Amino acid sequence: MATDDTHEIEVEGLSKSFGRRPALHEVSFCVQAGGFLSIFGPNGAGKTTILRILATLLRPSGGRASVAGHDVREDPMPVRAAIGVVSHEALLYGDLTAHENLRFYADMYGLADRESRIGELLERLELSHRRDDLVRTFSKGMRQRLAIARAILHRPRVLLLDEPYAGLDPRAAGILDGLLAEIRPDHTFVMVTHALEKGLELATQAIIIEAGEVVFQSAGPVDAAEFAVVYREHVAEGAVA
Amino acid sequence: MGRRQYAAILRKDLIRELRTREMLVSMFLFVMLALVIFHFAFSVRAGTDLTYFTGGMLWVTFVFGALLGLNRSFAQEKDEACLDGLLLCPVDRVTIFLAKMSGNLIYLLVIQVLAVPVFSLFFIKTSYAVHLGPFLLVVLLADLGICALGTLLATISMSSRARDLLLPIVFLPLVVPVLIAATAATTGIFARGDGLGSLGGKLLFLAVYDAIFLVAAYGTYEFAIGE
Repeated sequence: MATDDTHEIEVEGLSKSFGRRPALHEVSFCVQAGGFLSIFGPNGAGKTTILRILATLLRPSGGRASVAGHDVREDPMPVRAAIGVVSHEALLYGDLTAHENLRFYADMYGLADRESRIGELLERLELSHRRDDLVRTFSKGMRQRLAIARAILHRPRVLLLDEPYAGLDPRAAGILDGLLAEIRPDHTFVMVTHALEKGLELATQAIIIEAGEVVFQSAGPVDAAEFAVVYREHVAEGAVA
Repeated sequence: MGRRQYAAILRKDLIRELRTREMLVSMFLFVMLALVIFHFAFSVRAGTDLTYFTGGMLWVTFVFGALLGLNRSFAQEKDEACLDGLLLCPVDRVTIFLAKMSGNLIYLLVIQVLAVPVFSLFFIKTSYAVHLGPFLLVVLLADLGICALGTLLATISMSSRARDLLLPIVFLPLVVPVLIAATAATTGIFARGDGLGSLGGKLLFLAVYDAIFLVAAYGTYEFAIGE
């Protein structure tokens, strides 16, 4: 499939139904390489469904989506190699140590410099001292930091973030902020969030999804005050974070 | 198939099982209890010759014991929400199947290594070691069929809320051919001293059954483990 070289992510007329229940309807957007798209919307709007389709975890019912130049339905393997996913679930094995979890994922991604990369990330995320502890003994914040290490272990081009700040204490949120700032120039981001302020602070573009449809889309950086007004127009007042 | 990825999944499953012993302990206890119950149920009168029942008792016990492990093999991935992490990796889905099936096969073999001496003590008058070669071949072929079918069906049923009920309902009818062939072969070995020559048809049947479900898994696993 031919894709625009400057667009790391292209979504065109994307639809998804679960049985008879439509979850997405004709969703379209593009994200340029190095861009940061924040997706807002109320619960059940279809935000996570978009992310799961981009991550090849769900097959679209209609339309198309490509990541890093590869169609998510026709050519999912290179897409999986190109993405890292941070969700509210850590996707870590509680009965394995931090090192064993990262070693497992390093082998799954075929990393050549496994041990040095694991050491570097554990150091960067301030988890070196818990390297050989079982993950089930970790706090929520520590799990989330390790989840970030898992997501960027294989140096993905695209990071898909599903409420990455959910449940983080200020220290862990600060570490995540620092890490995102550090890797920002080399990555393209899509973040699903309810946190309007944080989402807009990071975004180069933003969309609002409601009932499976894009109801607002900005082409460039967004003014927080203006966006809040637009958000309230489309989404129930109480949903604004 | 990615050998490194296969080894990574298998190693991860084995490390977790060695730490938690969830599957091995439950399978071992079930198999031992079943053998003890069979022993008391059939040995009411001392000296009863149970040789012709040995194959049936052994394989019914192993099939139900295997079912306990199969039910847990993907439940761990689901319980800790790690299945998404596995599916996000750029790994051929057949590699996931083969690694998971290998893990199930290893657990079943470990249980059998522990259970067969007890079984021999209870039910066989001659030493099972005399028939070890043909018996091992029957065990390996039957186990492969049980684990190939079981792993495929455990994958399909894992997304169901009623997975604990669903797996036995779909697994048990489909595993009956293995049960019949393995039972006939095992009874033949212990009761009549059948060698490889006499077991040829049953071994071929088991090998064909294994091949059918390995090919079925190869062709369908991408969809089985998908949405």
